Amino acid sequence: MSSYLRRYRPFIVAGIEEATVYRSNFIIYLLGNTLGAFVTYFLWKAVFTSSANSSLNGFTFPEMVLYIFLSFFTGVLTSSDSSTSVGDEVKDGSIAMRILKPINFAANYFYEEIGNKIINLGLLMLPFFGGIVAYQILGQNAPAVNWINILLYFISAIIAYLINFYFNLCFSFTAFFFRNLWGSNLLKNALVVFMSGTLVPLAFFPAVLQNIFKFLPFSSLLYTPVMMYLGKYSPKMIVSMLFLQIFWLVFFIVLSKIIWYFAIKHLSIQGG
Amino acid sequence: MAMIEVSHLQKNFKKTTKAPGLIGAFQSLIHPQYQTFEAVKDLSFEVPQGEILGFIGANGAGKSTTIKMLTGILAPTSGFCRINGKIPQEDRKNYVKDIGVVFGQRTQLWWDLPLQETYSVLKEIYDVPEKEFHKRMDFLNEILDLNEFITSPVRTLSLGQRMRADIAASLLHNPKVLFLDEPTIGLDVSVKDNIRKAIAQINHEEKTTIVLTTHDLDDIELLCNRIFMIDRGSEVFDGTIKELKGQFGRIREVEFELVDSNDGAKLDYSTLPVPVEIRQTGNTVVAKFDDSLVSVPNILKLTLAQVEVKDISVKDADIEEIVRQIFRKEAQEHEQLS
Repeated sequence: MSSYLRRYRPFIVAGIEEATVYRSNFIIYLLGNTLGAFVTYFLWKAVFTSSANSSLNGFTFPEMVLYIFLSFFTGVLTSSDSSTSVGDEVKDGSIAMRILKPINFAANYFYEEIGNKIINLGLLMLPFFGGIVAYQILGQNAPAVNWINILLYFISAIIAYLINFYFNLCFSFTAFFFRNLWGSNLLKNALVVFMSGTLVPLAFFPAVLQNIFKFLPFSSLLYTPVMMYLGKYSPKMIVSMLFLQIFWLVFFIVLSKIIWYFAIKHLSIQGG
Repeated sequence: MAMIEVSHLQKNFKKTTKAPGLIGAFQSLIHPQYQTFEAVKDLSFEVPQGEILGFIGANGAGKSTTIKMLTGILAPTSGFCRINGKIPQEDRKNYVKDIGVVFGQRTQLWWDLPLQETYSVLKEIYDVPEKEFHKRMDFLNEILDLNEFITSPVRTLSLGQRMRADIAASLLHNPKVLFLDEPTIGLDVSVKDNIRKAIAQINHEEKTTIVLTTHDLDDIELLCNRIFMIDRGSEVFDGTIKELKGQFGRIREVEFELVDSNDGAKLDYSTLPVPVEIRQTGNTVVAKFDDSLVSVPNILKLTLAQVEVKDISVKDADIEEIVRQIFRKEAQEHEQLS
């Protein structure tokens, strides 16, 4: 175990150092995303103002505000870039240098990303999460701060990140077969945004779709942790949702191992 | 037992054939046509421990494909290679501990980190003990002069520095086999020279087996005990440089420095039964001829009888010339066949 840690710790450090080199890049990325969150906020504000009811599909306006900013925060927290980086490295052939090292391929990406996340979340945590909690304390009619829900949220969000990591990894391994991931990445991202509840809470979908989406892995990526934070689940529901998340996590870990087994046989490094 | 054993190695690629132009692109999108292309055909050879093998061939001859199979990042269509008793494709994580790889066109260094960080990462990856690591770094520092840029981020290094750093990175764990794919590409003469010296020293001190591909034939001449040449995926020649010269290199050159440059026109070799090619620049005349048909003393005798000479130098067959000949011959044969 200690030799395992020793071997992969440098990747965390490398990830941290890389994130600090490109921190302005991350800040610009954040600004863009924040802008998106505010656009969504004004959109929903217009929807609630024009509606006769004070709550829509079980969401009051302050809850909706929380949902918007939380789903934005969760999106950054659970984002995984592995499919883009693996895709790029397959495309230009530099993946070869990774495969030539005596290390676990997935772990290599994972720890680099963790290093990146430590810095990025450090930058994001205080202004954003602080802002959300401040809104809850100061905002009119806002849901009260519930520390148990916050704890549940972080547990669920961490599992969500792991699912997302392995899901993206599985997806990225298809680059070994298709050579280029750009197109399929766009399609995947659009579907994930739609089915994970990033754009619209799943509660707003027709009942049939809701039931399908709830069981699909995508709701585990974002909707589940956010709903936990908002305290929308009964204790029984919380347990079953966590189990569903763990199921999908195990599913994607196993799937990634199976795909890797075949992908490595199919591997051809592009370029001289 | 040989360190590297290659047996009937074959790699076929499926290639989409595309008719030219926009219509062709459209056709290949809807109904792609495949063609099998043999990049490596039935290669077999062995490399004993401690040997430096020069692996040469024209662009697209299949060198890189072979190296990729040897390093385990490409699976052969049929046949196998075994290095240090291990099949690269079978147990990747274990196998790569035995080898070091440098691809001249790529880097294994962390692009955004100071160079020495890469070495600390590699130290952990390969489980190099602290003491061993320092000894190794000192050694690599000495032969590759890393000290002047070891604290700079990799992205700020010049190509020559990066290549030296990359070679050091591939040697940190003291591999049994070192694969160098065009390690001197794009470097200036003095850096090339440094790198060659380093490679020779490592081979000498550690008995590292080295497989070297290059387009620079000076690399081959200065480093390799043995040459393996391929063309269109098949073996063309396997042997020492001396054998290569013996087999193909009968072309010799004798250089004369004349006292009077006008004398050059007086030279006449038409009495000899074979053609002699003459080239003159200023005072220097070079006579090029086939060694097996006319001897060097004969040429000397004939020349000295005709003109006054200040200096003479007899050149060995130039390996570059030989390789050019072989490839030309191969290309002609190929054309006749098709």
